[in-house]
Amino acid sequence: MSIGENLIRLRYRLIPDQIIGELLSKSWIDTCIPASLLAVTVVVFAAIAPDFLSLDNLSDTGRQLGELGFIAIGLTVVLMAGGIDLSVGSIYGLCNFATLEAFQGLGLPLWLTFLISLGLGGLVGTINGLLIGYLRLRAFLTTLVTLIIVRAIVQTAALTFGEAMTGVAPDRSAWDFVGDGTIAGIPFSLVALAILAVAGHLFLTRSRLGWHVQAVGGSRRSALNAGIPVRRTVFLSYVISGLCCAVAGFLYAARLTNAGPEVGNGTEIMALTAAVLGGISLGGGRGSVSKVLLGTTVVLLITNSLVAMGLRSGGTSFILGLVLLLAVVIDVRWTKNRQKILARVYISPTYFSLPPCPSTAKDSGSVFAANDALTSAEPIGLNAVDGAEDVIFDSQGHLYTGSRQGDVIRFLAPDYAKSEIFAHIGGHPLGMAIDAQDTINVCVSGMGLYAVDQKREVRKLSDQTNRSLFSIRDDSRIRFADDVDIAPDGRMYFSEATVRFDIYEWASDGLELRGNGRIIAYDPRTDTSRTVLSNLIFPNGICVSHDGRSLLFAETWACRISRYWLEGPQAGKVEIITENLPGYPDNINRASDGNYWIALLGMRTPVLDYSLKMPGFRKRMAQRVAFDEWIYPNLNTGMIVKISDSGEVIQSLWDSTGEKHPMITSMREHAGNLYIGGIFNNRIGRLPLPNADPAWTGPRSYWGGR
Amino acid sequence: MIKFYDWLRGSGVYAVTVPPMDGALKPNDLLETASIATVAAQPDNLTPDGSRVLFSTGNTLMSLERMGEKWSAQSIASFAAAITCIGAEGRGGIAIGIDDGTVLLKGGKHDGLRIDKVADRPLVCPTACAFAGENTLILCLGSLTNPASRWKADLMERNETGSVWSIDLASGAATRLADRLAFPYGLQIAGPGRIVVTESWKHRVVEIVGGKVKELLADLPGYPARLARSGDGYWLSAFAPRSQMVEFVLRERKFCLGMMANIDAEYWMAPALISGRNHLEPLQGGAIRHLGVLKPWSPTRSYGLLVELDAAFKPLRSLHSRAGGRHHGITSGIEFDGAILATSKGGDAVLALPRQS
Repeated sequence: MSIGENLIRLRYRLIPDQIIGELLSKSWIDTCIPASLLAVTVVVFAAIAPDFLSLDNLSDTGRQLGELGFIAIGLTVVLMAGGIDLSVGSIYGLCNFATLEAFQGLGLPLWLTFLISLGLGGLVGTINGLLIGYLRLRAFLTTLVTLIIVRAIVQTAALTFGEAMTGVAPDRSAWDFVGDGTIAGIPFSLVALAILAVAGHLFLTRSRLGWHVQAVGGSRRSALNAGIPVRRTVFLSYVISGLCCAVAGFLYAARLTNAGPEVGNGTEIMALTAAVLGGISLGGGRGSVSKVLLGTTVVLLITNSLVAMGLRSGGTSFILGLVLLLAVVIDVRWTKNRQKILARVYISPTYFSLPPCPSTAKDSGSVFAANDALTSAEPIGLNAVDGAEDVIFDSQGHLYTGSRQGDVIRFLAPDYAKSEIFAHIGGHPLGMAIDAQDTINVCVSGMGLYAVDQKREVRKLSDQTNRSLFSIRDDSRIRFADDVDIAPDGRMYFSEATVRFDIYEWASDGLELRGNGRIIAYDPRTDTSRTVLSNLIFPNGICVSHDGRSLLFAETWACRISRYWLEGPQAGKVEIITENLPGYPDNINRASDGNYWIALLGMRTPVLDYSLKMPGFRKRMAQRVAFDEWIYPNLNTGMIVKISDSGEVIQSLWDSTGEKHPMITSMREHAGNLYIGGIFNNRIGRLPLPNADPAWTGPRSYWGGR
Repeated sequence: MIKFYDWLRGSGVYAVTVPPMDGALKPNDLLETASIATVAAQPDNLTPDGSRVLFSTGNTLMSLERMGEKWSAQSIASFAAAITCIGAEGRGGIAIGIDDGTVLLKGGKHDGLRIDKVADRPLVCPTACAFAGENTLILCLGSLTNPASRWKADLMERNETGSVWSIDLASGAATRLADRLAFPYGLQIAGPGRIVVTESWKHRVVEIVGGKVKELLADLPGYPARLARSGDGYWLSAFAPRSQMVEFVLRERKFCLGMMANIDAEYWMAPALISGRNHLEPLQGGAIRHLGVLKPWSPTRSYGLLVELDAAFKPLRSLHSRAGGRHHGITSGIEFDGAILATSKGGDAVLALPRQS
């Protein structure tokens, strides 16, 4: 092995590329953009703005955050429902004025003032909601109109009643506390915001209405079809926004006692920038409270720092506008391309190396020499089966197999001419094992391990196992159960080929060649599952040895068979018994002569073997070349090999042209015949075995004669 | 800068997409269902010569004659190596290119002449020849380094070392008409002084004008082989299809060169004259046999394609043998005595179809 190759191998062993894809597939990855933006803002302005990190500055920013945060969270609810609320700034101004007028001008008590403020904010929100939700006017225009009208009212009111605000307020101390007070050193408004944030988060993620808001924003038509009251939901989102603005206006009034008509000017732009910058999608449906708070903080830090740096207010708006534009661009592009990026980076091939392939030439004299022994197999269920991954026999000699439509099919003994749907499961049945009661235990793609008894009742045995300790994605769910066998103590061992892909993406796992698979033990006595072996390279066929003391399993892409000791001095250990097969092993089953049959689903090709050492090539292939054009194993050739208990290869049976049996995924010996299944084939083959024991059957071998 | 952007995005010259078979190239099964005029191992080089048709099989020169509905083939001569091209003068003179790097003349005025050099350049890879009058032979050399039988290596090496020559048979003087072509494979004298060649590795048909090439037909979905007359137009054969995966491998230089160094050419991820015959050949995902059927639109390394072009080299119609078929690797196709003849070098057969099919 050359130095270059060693470096490649080392690089792929040390750097876990797959993490990038797994991180990107997490839903919280969206929050990373505003979070990193916040970090950048803090660093930049801490460096260039004077007194940025001083306590005064932070405390003041905190109070402003309390007010703007309320508005932004309200706006977020509207945005997530798929609308927009431009009137937030003027509602804020209106409530600020109303609070001052009620408290200082009319001398009303604080609680009543607060209620009046809430009522006014709620009223404008209600008007917005009625117009947009029920009358179905355009959100943008409608709220623009309310923005103008409410602003006009505030201006008129300020001119008319502005001077009457010098009256003496009844409870000054509470007022001051709201405006300037702190709780444990934290400004009151910030505490209020924290409470709202928690409530808002619970509302959006845990409440019925919150889910409705997200559903309506995500897809209005689907929400309607799902029976969600779309109009009411939209209506309520504007009311919530109005109420939030009212609280913000109340807090601002208490802090600055400024009844000027200009309060709230441009606040809608700040709130909108905060929301979009935080990653609240303008298209609706996506967002969270934490994100909007991050966005709000960034916006406030920017504006305050710019003011502190002496930029005129026009300049601040200019920069804020640019930031908003940037945020919108990021939002649109990210939403559009996120899945594409994920698809590009998710597949992350790694270095692998196989020894030179043993010769398979017809005249090579090798045990793997190509032949056409399988072409004499006679067909069962020709053009009737579709997806016969595994075949198995019960004690009566009936044949069971799976179908792509999600059924367990039974062919009736003795001639297997008639078939029936034995049971419907719903997922594609793959590997099967039969127990002493003739119950069929079956791995179902995408579903887990299931059992079908002779009364045709379908029962779930296992669909999850323990989550592995350091996995980024939750791997406790079983996605791709592949083959199962039953140990003498009743425990079922089944393989999960890969935890990173679904069954229709099996080729992607073959491209990665990472140890993504595992073997899980299901214990029927406790009804629990536990992972016993992990990091296997596409573990596929599984078979309890004739003596019941160990388990043979195939690792498909690694072209090898291993033994896992169930008991004895080596219990729990794994040893490789057959390596460097000329093809990719699938199911393993017992043979009547004490040996084992192994189906090879495809043959190794020199080009594919060579590409294993070049993970970069395979990754670019996955990115650049269409799925159907990828280099696969040669699956158009079928082969079955027989190995001894120690792993020595004894015999190979081929269909070298692949006319009748390409891609063999399983075979089962039964009463002197070998039955051959293929997941993509249109038949099950029956091949007479001249030297086999005609009395031998699977159920007898496992559970004794009856 | 634009190149870098293309590299980043896989667009422009870095694109691995191939043109679709559409319009005049819409697939059918005409070649697959065509009758077999005669069975021959790796037939090639159909050339009309008076009342008979010459073709080659391995290192044997054959003639094909029509006997009513049937065709009969006779062996004429054998050579030291495989025949790579045939040119017939029409009055008895024949030029034969051999894979050992020679061109021999048989019959006619210059009988017995042997050419193994043009302007001191060894004649490694004669790929096409044609007479322009009794004393002038136009000769295409596919490559400077690879003989014609190693065309696959020449493609995967991305060579552009082909050339076209005009040889005065009387004096032996050779004039270079064009150089640095990407495997000129087919040759047609389209009119007085009009020389048209197919540039295989660039998937196009070009005319040679004053030492430069002028594109006549570009972006073919296959690698063009020979060009023959068809009334006013031409028959263009394509011996292998282009595919996304091969285009990708061609751009992955490290992988491609490593593959060439370590693996037998038969098993490369490269175009082929015939495929799907051995389990060591690479297989692409879409070419998996499902329910006993190999889909005709599945990705394939070999294909049968013969295209009829009009006088302006625009495709008119096409004959196909699709993925999973037998009549792949069409290296030459001509019109003769009311029939279309084509050599399926991959399928070991000379095919015959009625002209109006």
